[in-house]
Amino acid sequence: MIDTLALAITLPLLGALAAVARPRAARAIGLITALVTTAGVAALVIEVAQFGLRRTDLGGWGAPLGIALQADGLAAALLAMTNLVALAVSLYASDYFGDGPIRRHFWPLWLLLWAALNGLFLAADLFNIYVALELVGLAAVALAALTGTREALTASLRYLLASLLGAITYLLGVALLYAAHGTLDLGQLANAIAEGPVAWTALVLMTGGLSIKAALWPMHFWLPPAHGNAPAPVSAALSALVVKAAFYLVLRLWFGLYDTAATLAAAHFLGFLGAGAVLWGSWQALRAERLKRMAAYSTVAQMGYLFLFFPLLAAAEPGAAREDLLAALVLFALSHGFAKAALFLAAGHIQQCAGHDRIAELSGTAQRLPATTFVIALASVTLIGLPPSGAFTAKWLLLSGAIAAGQWWGVLVVLAGTLLAAAYSFRLLGRAFGFEPTPYRCITAVHTEVPALALALTATLGLGLAGDALWTLLQVGGPR
Amino acid sequence: MTGAALRAFVTIAIALAAGVLWWVFSLALLEGPGERLAPLAAEALPRSGVGNPVTAVLLNFRAYDTLLELAVLLAAVLGIWASGPPDRGFAPAEIVLAGLVDWLVPLLILAAGYLLWVGGQAPGGAFQAGAMLAAAGVVLRLAGTPRAGLPRGDWQRVLVVAGVAAFLAVGLALMAIGHGFLTYPPGHAKWLILTIETAATLAIGATLAAAYVGGSPPDGPPGEDRA
Repeated sequence: MIDTLALAITLPLLGALAAVARPRAARAIGLITALVTTAGVAALVIEVAQFGLRRTDLGGWGAPLGIALQADGLAAALLAMTNLVALAVSLYASDYFGDGPIRRHFWPLWLLLWAALNGLFLAADLFNIYVALELVGLAAVALAALTGTREALTASLRYLLASLLGAITYLLGVALLYAAHGTLDLGQLANAIAEGPVAWTALVLMTGGLSIKAALWPMHFWLPPAHGNAPAPVSAALSALVVKAAFYLVLRLWFGLYDTAATLAAAHFLGFLGAGAVLWGSWQALRAERLKRMAAYSTVAQMGYLFLFFPLLAAAEPGAAREDLLAALVLFALSHGFAKAALFLAAGHIQQCAGHDRIAELSGTAQRLPATTFVIALASVTLIGLPPSGAFTAKWLLLSGAIAAGQWWGVLVVLAGTLLAAAYSFRLLGRAFGFEPTPYRCITAVHTEVPALALALTATLGLGLAGDALWTLLQVGGPR
Repeated sequence: MTGAALRAFVTIAIALAAGVLWWVFSLALLEGPGERLAPLAAEALPRSGVGNPVTAVLLNFRAYDTLLELAVLLAAVLGIWASGPPDRGFAPAEIVLAGLVDWLVPLLILAAGYLLWVGGQAPGGAFQAGAMLAAAGVVLRLAGTPRAGLPRGDWQRVLVVAGVAAFLAVGLALMAIGHGFLTYPPGHAKWLILTIETAATLAIGATLAAAYVGGSPPDGPPGEDRA
């Protein structure tokens, strides 16, 4: 009996152990593990698409005594994105770190992070989510500190403290729910939770903790330095995957666990924070002097769009319109995952070739690194939300939803954010196409440019043109 | 806002939040189901293979959580290793301390073995036993042993992953023969749990001691940095 749910977590974990025990072979172990894990998760996603909801009771005890793993359409969609991005990051990283000592430290931590992310998406137990969150947090912080520079260490320490605060706050909410209902299983809790001060406080605590980890404005303060100073493959994983995992949990809590109990006013509050994130993040991205800093602030803004969906989802009646909104939200998250990973990988290549990533001095990039510049342009198409990217479809549905619900402030925020995104993208591309030559140490490298190109193409063309499959997949037992 | 006013404001806000939490938690405890999962666990205890309910929860009912907890410990020590080489440590101990260490370390190791074994029936288990082993390592390092009694780089790495590795080996083997991941077949739970706990004790002890030493283990040839 092959349990693909357990394999999605155990395969990268096994790879991590092997990479710790045999540091000299870490790169080969890492690449093999990346391929095998992606294949295993692909099998799981196909199972979900064909046979519907997958659930397994670890230890055979069943909830509430034991822990279950569960994959519905939503989990499968995010797993697919996560593992494709992680595969591309692994291929890129196999070249990026060269032969230095960082390589030995990168692979075990990276595979641990991968296992923890897969575990988070499959978790069906509130306390198990906490354990997986801790593993994600610790591995991410250690990875962000890998360059060992003073800025990176300072940023990582701040990231660690913010991450711990988020996890502890989340745990407090879990303790409250367990005290009130005596179970930790998501499905059983969803039936047990009744409106009241206990349920509300627990939701506030858990959402608060997770939104620190999801870098929701104004709790985003730790993100730009941590993501901006990490090695490029790590930045890509942190921005595309780690904050997305925390957001996924918020989504599960609000529209899976609480569903009937979540009220409009609270959803509006999250929406307002999202609006703040869109405007502030985009504005800071426009003002950023360094390419990686710009990409990091752009992540703050893009996470804001995801929270803009909350008031609309809470207001919508169950039915086709609401399913469209939810699918649009997921489509936006997936598109951003692919595009931001591509942008960070491209930025890393530019930084290695130019020796810096100051935007003002990147003139002539288009002539020397045409493929990488193409990647940045493709990623920008998604970040701005131009057709034919998936982000365009998602933003279109967000706008129509906001107009239909009469939430005009949302429309204005989306338009302003889109204009600002266009401004910061064209500011970068304008430099890249400049004529003043910038000294570059290298021209092209297949290993580093192909993964980024594949990610950017997936974001802009793949998701934009094959959105139908996502709609079908999300029908599988997702949040109602 | 001045500094003093801000501080007063923050104090009042924290006090209010604490008050609300106090109220809500007492509400949850008063109106809650009372017994929660404890009766269920007690009822399932005879089928868990161990007599200590804590060990049953950690190694059987919620073994997957414990597996991830061990991975968290591993991530922590990997992060410490990534931050550079360790300090040189302390000067070798004088005769009195050295004599004490000669007594203390074997006793700590013996106590760790006892805690590991007794964990099946009474309070104890891998985490407590591992902490004892790590304490032995800390004592050794304080007395001037640079590697805190840990083996050379390669073996140290094997020790640190042993806990998660044993867990995965047992879990995947059970899955392969058709029982499901970490689903112990009836009658075999006790020995499988003891196997996992033994490996976990060594791993926890090595991990905590390595964390105390701080910095990555040297990968040099054998004997290069003998203590």
